[in-house]
Amino acid sequence: MRFRSRRVVVAFTAVASALAIAAAGCSSAASHDSAATASGSSAPGKDSKAVGFIFVGPKDDYGYNQAAYQGSQEIKKAFPDLQVITAENVPEDDNAARVMEGMIQKGAKIIFATSYGHLDAALKVAAAHPDVVVVQQGNVIADGKVTANTGTYFGTVYEPVYLAGIAAGKATKSNKLGYVYAFPIPQTIANIDAFELGAKSVNPDAKTYTVNTSNWCDPAKQAQATQSLLSQGVDVISQHQDCTGTVIKATEAGGAFTVGYHADASSLAPKGWLTGSEWAWGPLYTDIVKTALGGTFTGSKYNANYRVGYKNGENPFVQSKFGPSVTQETKDAITKAKTDISAADGSPFKGPITDQEGKVRIPAGTVPDYATLDTIDYFVDGVVGELPKS
Amino acid sequence: MAEPRAAGGPQIVAQFKPEDATGGGGAVATATLAPEVPVAPGTPGASAVPAAPAVESRLTGIGRGVARWAAALAGAIAIFTVLLLLKGANPASVYSNVWTSTFTNQPSIEQIFVKAAPLLLGALAVVVPARAGLVNVGGEGQIVIGAVAAGGIGISLGDRLGGGLVMILMVVASMAAGAAWAGLAAVLRLTVGINEAVSTLLMNYIALDLLLYLIYSPWKDPHGTGQPTTAPLADTAKLPYLGTTAVHVGIVFALIATAVVWLLLRYTTWGFRLRVIGGNPEAARRAGLPVALLLLSAMLVGGALAGLGGMVHYAGVEYKLRTGITTNFGYIAFLASWLARHNPVSVVLAALALAAITVAGDSLQLDSALPAATVNILMGLVLIAVLGWTTRKKSGGKAR
Repeated sequence: MRFRSRRVVVAFTAVASALAIAAAGCSSAASHDSAATASGSSAPGKDSKAVGFIFVGPKDDYGYNQAAYQGSQEIKKAFPDLQVITAENVPEDDNAARVMEGMIQKGAKIIFATSYGHLDAALKVAAAHPDVVVVQQGNVIADGKVTANTGTYFGTVYEPVYLAGIAAGKATKSNKLGYVYAFPIPQTIANIDAFELGAKSVNPDAKTYTVNTSNWCDPAKQAQATQSLLSQGVDVISQHQDCTGTVIKATEAGGAFTVGYHADASSLAPKGWLTGSEWAWGPLYTDIVKTALGGTFTGSKYNANYRVGYKNGENPFVQSKFGPSVTQETKDAITKAKTDISAADGSPFKGPITDQEGKVRIPAGTVPDYATLDTIDYFVDGVVGELPKS
Repeated sequence: MAEPRAAGGPQIVAQFKPEDATGGGGAVATATLAPEVPVAPGTPGASAVPAAPAVESRLTGIGRGVARWAAALAGAIAIFTVLLLLKGANPASVYSNVWTSTFTNQPSIEQIFVKAAPLLLGALAVVVPARAGLVNVGGEGQIVIGAVAAGGIGISLGDRLGGGLVMILMVVASMAAGAAWAGLAAVLRLTVGINEAVSTLLMNYIALDLLLYLIYSPWKDPHGTGQPTTAPLADTAKLPYLGTTAVHVGIVFALIATAVVWLLLRYTTWGFRLRVIGGNPEAARRAGLPVALLLLSAMLVGGALAGLGGMVHYAGVEYKLRTGITTNFGYIAFLASWLARHNPVSVVLAALALAAITVAGDSLQLDSALPAATVNILMGLVLIAVLGWTTRKKSGGKAR
């Protein structure tokens, strides 16, 4: 390559060396964890003037984010002096850390990172601000990594999903149920398994066909997934997506039954709606904020991987209303099942539980606890579709 | 100003070429070739006569360009203000909040530079092929592939070799992978005549699928929580920060790349020949230039730059490969290049401006409680205004 002037070569060398010097002046990688800001002596979250919420999707998605947003607005009612700052469409990457930093600068000392994939960013922000409580919704902080100002919380989602599975198992004529999911995370796997187990408890021939979309809300992929399920003869469709409207509308248009998720979308499926599960976050959010404001977050039950379900309190994930086609017999079966799985020795996953290969994963008589099911990584017998192997 | 003169002629030709590509292209390209043949670099007399008015018109051209930019931006902001009023927001407080939260506060300013690094590299990946008349819409895929290559090195060697060595390997691998990805599109164009704008765009989706496959199965973090990501990059292999800021050295890489691209395009025979091809490939072919090789090289260089963009984002910010590793950097970078009219110097400003708009979007939500899509509207308005109102009109071409 021939340079057109010697002067240019000189200029080039000068620029390059200047930049090299600048690069050499950089700090070493050792200082990568940003230094903790001065936190003062107060407990994390104490006397915060604001609460921040980040959502991965839009706050009007007929689903997960809408439910979380509604929960955040209930905090306003409980604490009128508190400013509630919300940000929607926050990606599950370092952008989330930037948005949370912005909230902290606006005075928020309590932050709710409400999507599963927000955990990395949440922990990064929490490490940089020991005076700020950062709680994450639905993920699990690894053993020994829960610090004084972090925690996760969630409902045991698979409990109402198990009950909805009973309605699906009763309703199906083809014995083929469909499940559209996003990512093979334990929460989702537990849902799909519970759905199948619920259906099988009343209909031994029921199978659950799965399709994954690799996205919490991609209507194009959702429509495709729904069509592919319908074309396989599936006649009841449920889902684990953030925005639920597309799948429900496509299912209704295809003449199949809908089991809802995250929110009451029965208006979208006036004929096919069976039942579903939906969030009622208000009381739990409010209690977390109250705990943090009082300065007692550290050491509280929320300063951990907190899970609440039928067995230990008020599950924030509740059953949706029934649709027109659900018979009294089905409703009674569901009521009975709810009593059973709420008992100390009950669980949708009460052994024996076998996986798709027929291997016994939970021995007969064993009742797994919530923490065990938070790490579930296999589909049970009766689920059709493979989990990506790692 | 003696030196740029020699390049002045062809530069102007290359600038207004796209408007009359079908018309007087042949004649124009002949004119550009003329100085190249007889003029040895630095020969004073040869260009003296045509150069004086050329320099003058270029200066007024720059002034006019800046004025147009300012007018276009003002127009975009005016429309945005109306939209804010329709949303019931108080524009004065919205703008003052954006200003204080974004530009008067160090962490936000740092975030602008963090965002700008991959954007700038992705934009340069459009600039270089554009010089040869190629449209590289594949920055997104090339960034993904660059990140994947860096991730492959990171998770396999990250904790076994020294950090500096891993970084160098990541740079090399990401640039090679990005170049190969873009090179595929160039080969498709040169052998079977598939338009590179289409093939690069489609290859973005293949790149994403490859990423998904890797993070779902073979490269998935065995100790992760089920979310499809790789294990985190070893601390030693993370790109260092600049001083005490949160800005990683990726922005320095991007600025060095900009300087190199500028020098290459402006002062090397290679850069000159790309311009000639961009002006009129047929004339270039008749003049004996190795057109295929030059087109391929332009795409390879572009792809390598985008690949580096993927590496700096992975090793500087994310530390894990994730499903949405780029958050659409490639497409925003494509717009940045068009915003800068594929000029390797103004592209720095365009990348910084788009990064700043992204960061300013936080304030729109957090301070003014506007919906998340508001920032996309602002970005769209700025792009439409700048592209629409500063495009040289067909009739305007005649004047020059």
